[in-house]
Formats: sequence, C-alpha cells, structure tokens
Amino acid sequence: MINLTEADTSPAWCPGCGNFMILKTFDEAVEEAELDRTRLALVSGIGQAAKLPHYTEANVFNGLHGRALPAATGIKLANHELEVVITSGDGDMYGEGGNHFLHAVRRNIGVKAFVHNNQVYGLTKGQASPTSDPGMVTKVQKHGVNSAPFRPLAVAIAEDCSFVARSFAGDRDHLREMMVAALRHDGGFALLDILQPCPSFNSRNTFQWYRERVRPIGESHDPTDRMAALELAFTWGDEIPIGILYRSDRPSFESHLDVLEDGPLAARYGDR
Amino acid sequence: MDLTIRIAGEAGQGVLTIGSLVVQGFARLGLDVLSTKSYMSRIRGGLNWYDIRCGDAPLTGPAERPDLLVALTDVARDLLGEELADGGLILHNSGESSAENVVAIDFEAVARDVAEKKLYAGTVALGAVFGLLGYEPDVLSGLLEEQFARKGDDVVADNRRCVERGAELVAEESGRLDAPESTGDARPVYDGAGAAALAAAAAGVKFVTAYPMTPATATFTWLAGAADEYGIVVEQAEDEIAAINMVCGAAYGGVPAMTMTSGGGLALMAEGLSLAGMMELPAVVLVAQRPAPATGLPTRTAQQDLLFALRAGHGEFPRAIFAPGTVRQSYDLTRRALETAHRYQTPVLVLTDQFLQDMEQTMDELDAAPRPIDRGIVTDPEPDYERYAVTDSGVSPRAIPGGPAFVVCDSDEHAADGHIAEDIEGHLEQQDKRMRKEDGMRADALPPERYGPDDADTLLLVWGSTYGPAREAVDRLDADGESVAMLHFPQLWPLDADAVSEAIGSPARLIAVEGNQTGQFRTLLRSEGIIDECELLTNYTGLPFTGAEIAERIRQ
Repeated sequence: MINLTEADTSPAWCPGCGNFMILKTFDEAVEEAELDRTRLALVSGIGQAAKLPHYTEANVFNGLHGRALPAATGIKLANHELEVVITSGDGDMYGEGGNHFLHAVRRNIGVKAFVHNNQVYGLTKGQASPTSDPGMVTKVQKHGVNSAPFRPLAVAIAEDCSFVARSFAGDRDHLREMMVAALRHDGGFALLDILQPCPSFNSRNTFQWYRERVRPIGESHDPTDRMAALELAFTWGDEIPIGILYRSDRPSFESHLDVLEDGPLAARYGDR
Repeated sequence: MDLTIRIAGEAGQGVLTIGSLVVQGFARLGLDVLSTKSYMSRIRGGLNWYDIRCGDAPLTGPAERPDLLVALTDVARDLLGEELADGGLILHNSGESSAENVVAIDFEAVARDVAEKKLYAGTVALGAVFGLLGYEPDVLSGLLEEQFARKGDDVVADNRRCVERGAELVAEESGRLDAPESTGDARPVYDGAGAAALAAAAAGVKFVTAYPMTPATATFTWLAGAADEYGIVVEQAEDEIAAINMVCGAAYGGVPAMTMTSGGGLALMAEGLSLAGMMELPAVVLVAQRPAPATGLPTRTAQQDLLFALRAGHGEFPRAIFAPGTVRQSYDLTRRALETAHRYQTPVLVLTDQFLQDMEQTMDELDAAPRPIDRGIVTDPEPDYERYAVTDSGVSPRAIPGGPAFVVCDSDEHAADGHIAEDIEGHLEQQDKRMRKEDGMRADALPPERYGPDDADTLLLVWGSTYGPAREAVDRLDADGESVAMLHFPQLWPLDADAVSEAIGSPARLIAVEGNQTGQFRTLLRSEGIIDECELLTNYTGLPFTGAEIAERIRQ
C-alpha cells in the first residue's frame, strides 16, 4: 500500500495565503491575552480557515462544514469556563452556516468568531462566496455574481451582537489588536471579520486592493452608537472601515442560565 | 375484566383535559390503566379522541372498540358510535337522548347551572363517567384540588360540585356497564414521552436541545419542565442540524446530551450522526416515528423509519438502536441508550413512535432520583494523551477539554492524536478501530424477549411499540386453543445473529408484525441471514395495531 505519510504536509495552504498571517497573529494574540491554552477550545467547520486549529496548540473541535457555531454553543454550555474561539471562513460561517450565524448572534452566546473572509471559496477552488462582490466572474458564476453580498457586520449589529469588529490580514498590528480585544471581551458573542486576500482564487480582492481601501475607524466613533455602527457596516467600496464597529452590554446567553451558577455542567459528575 | 372509555370531540373542546382527569382518577382507584391518544394535526376543530382502558389485571395495549363513548359533538357520536362495543353506551353532550343506549347530558348547560361557567363542562363529564361506572366521585376530590388549587379555592369547589352533579345526573343509569373493581391503592401513571425524559434526567443528561417536532416534542417539553430541578440546560435549536451539532459539542465538552425529533428531523440530522460516529462522541437521539414520506401524517403513528435510522449518515460507523415496547421500556431503554453511547463513544438512537409517546400506563414508580451514568471519562490524561489511541476494543480513552491534555477531535479522518491526516494506512487503522466497537455493542446487545409457549407453532416477530398489541393477540389466540408465541426485540442494532437465530428456532409459521408497508425489520433479519421464509402482517394506516386486529388477521 502506498504510504502517504511524507506527502501529508501541513499546513495545507497555498504559498502567500492570508491564513499564514492570521495564524501567526492568532498565536501572538493568545500570548498577549494570556490565555491558558488547556482551557482554550478552537472550533471550526470546513474550509481553509477551518484548518487553523490543527496548526496551533489548543483543544480542537473541527466539525462539519457550516456547523461550527452550534458545536461551539454546545461546548460553551457544557463548560462555560472554556474560552471558545471559532475559526471559520465566509463560506463556512455566512453560507453553509448562515442560519446558525443568525441564531448564535441572537442568543449572544459567549464565544468568539474569527471569520477569515476572503470573498471566495478556496477549498473548492474558486467559486463565489456569500460575500463576493457583485460582478465577480468564476467558473460557476461565469456571467458574474448577481446576488447582493451578505453584510455580516450589519446583520450582527442589527441583532445587537455584543462585539463587532473588522480587521485585515495584511495589517498584522491591527489584526492582533482586534484579536486581543475580542479575546478579552467578557460577555456575549464576539464577531471579528478578517479581510483576507486569496492569491490563488480571488484576483479581484488582492492585498493591494484591500490595502488601498482599509481605513482604521477614527477615535471619534462611539461603538455603543448603533446607528453609527450600522453606517460603518454598510460602508464598502473605495473605503472599508476596520476596527471595533459596535459594542453592546447585552448579557451573554449563558449568563441568563441560573443552572450554570454552580459551575460548569461538565464538572457535576463527581469523577472530576 | 376490562373496559374502554373513549372521550371524543373537536380539538380545543377539552378532550385532553377530561381524558387526563379520567386516567388520573382511575389510577387513584387502583385500577390498571392504559390510555392512547388519536388526534388530527390542528389546533381547533377536527375529531380527536382519548382512549382509556381500565382493568383489574395488567393491560398491554389498547382495545379496538370502546364500551363507553363520551361524545362531545354530534360528529363524534355519529362517526365513533359505530365503533361501539356490543352493549356499549354513549354519553352524549346534548339535551336529548337520540337512542336507547345514549345517555344525554348538556355538559355546558349543567356547568352554567351549577357554577355559572360553561368552562367546567369537562368536570361535569368527568363526574358522569364516574357515575355511570358506579365509582364514587370522592376519589376525584384530591385530584381536582391538585389540578385547580392554583386558580383558587372557589374554582376547586365549583369543579367538585360539577363532578358531583355530573354523577347525580346519571345515577339511574349507573350499573348499565360492567366496570372493574377498585382496589383503592393509588398507582403512578406515566406516558412514554415522559418516561423517556425522566430516564434522561435521572441518568445525568445536562444538555437537551431540539427543534419542536410531533410526536417527539412531549419529551422535550417534559425535560424543559424538569430542567431547574435536575440542573439541565434546555435550548430550542434553530433547526435539527443545529440540535445534533450542539449535542456533539456538549458531548465533546463532557456532558451527557440528547436531542429528540421525528423522521423529517432525523433526515436533517443525518450528517451530524455521521459526525458523532467519526468524532466518537456519545450522541443520543430519540426518534418518535410518524407515518409517510415528507410531512406525512404528523400526529399519527408508524414504524417506518427503522432502516432509515439504521442507515442515516454517510460513511460507515457503529451505532446502536433501541426500540421500547412499553412505557416502562421507554424509561429503561433511554437509560440504556445513554449508557451504550458513553461506553462505546458513538451515536445511539431510541426509536419510538406517536403511539408509545402518548401512551399512558399505570406501573410501579419509576426511579426519579439522580443516578448519573458512567461517562467513561479519563480524568488525568498524560500530556502526550491521544484522543484516538488504537485499542483492541476500539474504545479509546476519552478525555474532555479543560483538563491537563489537549483534546483534539476532527470530522476529517485523523491520526491517533486527532489531527487531520490523509495517510491511507492511518485511515484504515482508525476506520477499523471505530468499527471494532460494534463487536462490543453486539456482545452487549439485549436479547429478544419471548412471550407465549416455548413450542408454539406460530411465532410473531415484533419490535418497538407493537409489543403490547402483539402480546394481547398471543393471549387471545392461545386462549382459543391456537399455538402462538411472540419474540419482541427491544434492541434492533447491533443484532447477535446466532443468538437471535437460536431464539427464533424453527416454528412452523413465522410472521413479522410491523407498523410499516414493506416489512423493514423482516428485511433487516433477512439481510443478516437470520431468517428466510417469513410472512408479513403490516399496518401502515397511521393508527396503532390492536391485539384484536392482530389476532383476527392471524386467524384468517
């Protein structure tokens, strides 16, 4: 039988992939936020972003395509003392997992979702994603994308998500700052949408393209101002705002549950 | 002796309230009670009925024909009156009797007269039922107190007077029906849905999630009701896909978790079952069957999802399927399912149906005290711990996140350490490891239960909720001098082919009795090489079998 052990290399990403930067920054952010990795659970679905948990050190639940959020919800409720972080892509989180996204944010479950948003399907080699810009031509969308792009940040703000931010893989300092802010966020759902170039399958939204457009949100923005946050969430084109768009003090889902006051459910069996 | 009361009317008329009070009242009289419900998928109108069979000896299934029909509408009297047993009576909600065997009381008018509230029509009917059967309505006093105390003493008193008045109005008719004797020893009553839920709560299930779907919802609702008492997190999922993935997440986190659905929801869970198989997570799904494809007949009963439950989920992975036959087994097998799922770290299904979910039975008290199952968790894993270490049994030491070692689980094929791996030798090692667990489950499999003479000429092969009706059919046929026995399968997978073959033996006539059209269990037994020639007796009407029906069809 052929032995593929040597060929089974990792990471499985293309050279120049934005994921390398995100991974490196993620490891730095975990250090900076002083997380105990044995209490860190990385949850992912399927896609290139979803492979990230395999390339770092943590507890890992790499589940089904689109289903990271319900799995993460189950993990958080089983042991709410774990730091549950989801690493997902735009297809996984906003396409296949769209319904779960709507409801996880609505619940405001206290997990952190880092969405590597490259506006394209990488693992399946270049089809449009829910966030692809209109007009983008692919082998499947050969006359160009006609559907309006999904605006995750606007949806999250509309649902009163407790932490909503955007960053860019090409600006590692900003990305680290956002990751640390999300990891330190103590409360409900934290969404960090990370603009990530895909050099192999997205020739439209390149490093250059993003670099020319991303603008850090100015200090005058009040993240508790929901309408101002929505306006930033809808800003997309010549200018793309990055930073913390919105914060809400809505209590987390798990904080409503009196039954969790006695500690994690997983610790109630006398054998641990 | 036994007697069946059928309470029938439109949805929203109080059929359930009256029926439930009659069941509770009979249980307090110390009668053996078995009830079933038949309803249409609507909130108002239609024709629903609640059958309550009471006896002085253990009952296992419903009767075909009621001895007393409580008809809340003319439609109920006309349509169901024809099903009345010989010598039966109709208690009709009307001012005027339409026939010699019809006792007429305008329940609402009496309620208005006694308490100025037509809402209490149901308690007038309750009193009339007790009066007709010659039972003292006193026994209902405590029941009404329990039922209505929250609403105030006046409400309790008014309802008591309505019961008394109902009984008085039929005083002259009392004794027209032969009723079983009260023993006076009150007995607990459980339904299948509640018994399964109680088992889960007592077994230490601490996370429950579901998308509401008839006829599984009652189990979900029961657990929500008991959540504070048992310390359970209950969450309504956005869909069944979320439900099974949340269960997988909670199981990974170390908490026994469960979801419940019907066939359509199971279809949505199929990928999640496969995930639990691949990640080796103890996920338990209660599947309450209902008939026909797609939405089908949502409130009726069926045994049509056996092969689906057996095959749902892509790829090959081990699973177990239990199928309770009685309310008592709903409790026992739900616990067994949880234990099996945790012992073998794999998905387990409990296959029940509308008939059993809604069935109430008097029985000995079920154990409600917390008795957590063994989660099978390694509490002190070494730093080099591997979640999928290869073992002879296929069961790897299971740690949970938050301890000293990283716990890595992947839906992709993985190496022993849990990380994604595409090496083919490693894949085969893991695949074989997973499937070896089925050998252990097979060795642990519950044997089929035999009822009837050892050397019977005819053997009925039955599974799940057909237990009761089949048992009654065996009794009827054997009493008539026939030679019939039955073999009931509480566990449908894995099957120990040798043990099952031996249990079946070589009767002259073998008949699979199933609530489906194609004989799914017969197909399974054949595919396992266990049986060959076997007749098929099916019922896919959406209504359950009765013992009389099975006996009659076997005689033919």
